[in-house]
Amino acid sequence: MSVHPVIRLEEICKTFSLAEQSVDVLKGISLQIDPGEFIALLGTSGSGKSTLMHILGLLDRPTTGHYQLAGQDVSQLEDERLSELRNRMVGFIFQSFYLIPYISARQNVMLPGLYSSTPGRELKARAEKLLTLVGLSDRMDFKPGQLSGGQQQRVAIARALVNDPQVLLADEPTGQLDSKTSGEILDLLSDIHRQGRTVILVTHDQATANYAERKIFLDDGRITNS
Amino acid sequence: MMAASQTADRLRLFGRILHMALTAVWAHRLRSSFVILGVALGIASLTIIVAAVDGAERKAYQIVDSFGPDAVFILGGDIRNRAVGQRTNTLSYEDVEVLRQSLPGAYRVVPMRAQHNLPVRFENQKMQVANIVGATAGYADVWNWPLSEGRDFSEEDILRGAKVCLIGDTPAQELFGDRSPVGRTIYIDKLPVQVIGRLSYRGFSGGGGSIDERIILPITTLTQRFNLDRKYFRALRVKFTSPENMDFHVENLTSLLRKLHNLTEGQPDDFSILTADEILKFLSMFKGGLLLFLGITAAVAILVGGFVLANLFYLSVDERKEEIGLKKALGAKNSAILLQVLAEAVTLTMIGSLFGMAIGMGMAQLLERLGILEILFSWKVFTYSTLSSVAIGILFGLRPARKAAAMVPIEVLKG
Repeated sequence: MSVHPVIRLEEICKTFSLAEQSVDVLKGISLQIDPGEFIALLGTSGSGKSTLMHILGLLDRPTTGHYQLAGQDVSQLEDERLSELRNRMVGFIFQSFYLIPYISARQNVMLPGLYSSTPGRELKARAEKLLTLVGLSDRMDFKPGQLSGGQQQRVAIARALVNDPQVLLADEPTGQLDSKTSGEILDLLSDIHRQGRTVILVTHDQATANYAERKIFLDDGRITNS
Repeated sequence: MMAASQTADRLRLFGRILHMALTAVWAHRLRSSFVILGVALGIASLTIIVAAVDGAERKAYQIVDSFGPDAVFILGGDIRNRAVGQRTNTLSYEDVEVLRQSLPGAYRVVPMRAQHNLPVRFENQKMQVANIVGATAGYADVWNWPLSEGRDFSEEDILRGAKVCLIGDTPAQELFGDRSPVGRTIYIDKLPVQVIGRLSYRGFSGGGGSIDERIILPITTLTQRFNLDRKYFRALRVKFTSPENMDFHVENLTSLLRKLHNLTEGQPDDFSILTADEILKFLSMFKGGLLLFLGITAAVAILVGGFVLANLFYLSVDERKEEIGLKKALGAKNSAILLQVLAEAVTLTMIGSLFGMAIGMGMAQLLERLGILEILFSWKVFTYSTLSSVAIGILFGLRPARKAAAMVPIEVLKG
């Protein structure tokens, strides 16, 4: 049975050079993620999990090694191509939401679609459908400042899905939320996973990681389990 | 087919980025208004300049037009290097006769004399008139100055030394109000003269005093009745049939007059010849000075507007780096970010330019009312203002826009 992995990493290394000192942050990461998996990427701060997430999210390039996303080698693509692929294939959810404060929830959700070739009407319909899915059908015209933290993160989740990406990358999505709201957000991510989406949850917290099906532990730039 | 859909995609993206820019401009109204104000002041001064320079140019052409491109004006004495004690009464009656008979191309030679500040009275209305001018037949034609009513001098009026006159607009208004002056008798000093024609309103001055404040008498009448020197004239006006040969005419005229005045080679002219060209030269010098002075003012004002824009945009880009980083993370290319910041800048400068034009037109009209400047508004004002505001937006917005486009998402998005 050969399902093509959505993500395949081979010997990924990342070295940062700071004032003639080079620091190896990732020291040979090899990893496969199949479509529809729910993965938790666990590690303490300094373990390299942020750097790995940046590479997975096409926000950074590995120094050496190969990264195949949906069958395409993306390890050393130029910025413009990476922008296009990020737009199409990756949905981001951040710890501090990063919503644009002066536009409505609906417009925030539409944002990634504005840089794609999706027609406006379709984009709006999709944004409204997703806002309904995350339970904010009655808050579409609210600005972020008028929403609670949990609601803001729901808007961000809807935004991450608007371009129908291959992979959903959530970086400490509950880091700024209370435990009850955190549970709701993680339940929502589980729902999205059950609908067939690949979800990667980056966290330092074991309890959060328990929502995932598979855990990958990162320590000092290496994967310590498999 | 492929290319067409790509173009459509680009246009759609362009439209969306423009919309984002407008939304951002509106969302940051306070800061936007500072940029608008800064640019508006620059554009306002530009508007005044363009209007003033156009106004000066129009005035120059009016003056030249009234002078006539086919005419020269000869003054006694050398106005360029006036030697001490030099005679200015050098143009004689004899000169006039010789020029009339033997200057090729000249069809009118009009001697001119004037008296100044004589009391003039009609019934109970009295005033001092600055210029009482002596002239020959066809005054209106020679000076390209149409009559609004009545008739011009005839040859007979001149020969007889008739007690008739043409009246300028200012004395006509002052002495007669709404009534027609034609046919009435006025007293110049103690001499009764009948008004036979009224000169149309000209309204601009050739420097000092109103050009409309004048009364014209036949030159013979002026000389006889006001005891003027009968042999010499203050000035002569000569009209030629072919204005395109003006240089040639001036040369002829110069050598003829030098011969008549027995000037030998090396002696300076004892007369001065003014042509429309020379007046234009003087006026263009004046215009050049105006342009330089106002141009520097406008350049400084616009530069200030530009720096306000650049600084506020640096601030704005810095303050909105999370928004910019987010957009890049979500797939906006560098060019899309660059375009958005530039679109914001150009939007603000264009709004600023509209306000600036309004302020400038108001100011210019005020200056004109106060008699400081002549003003002419044209599409030029609109074109220059719009173009320069777009230029300011792009020029001063470019560095902040580049800075924004170069932001790295993982550096500005922490956590």
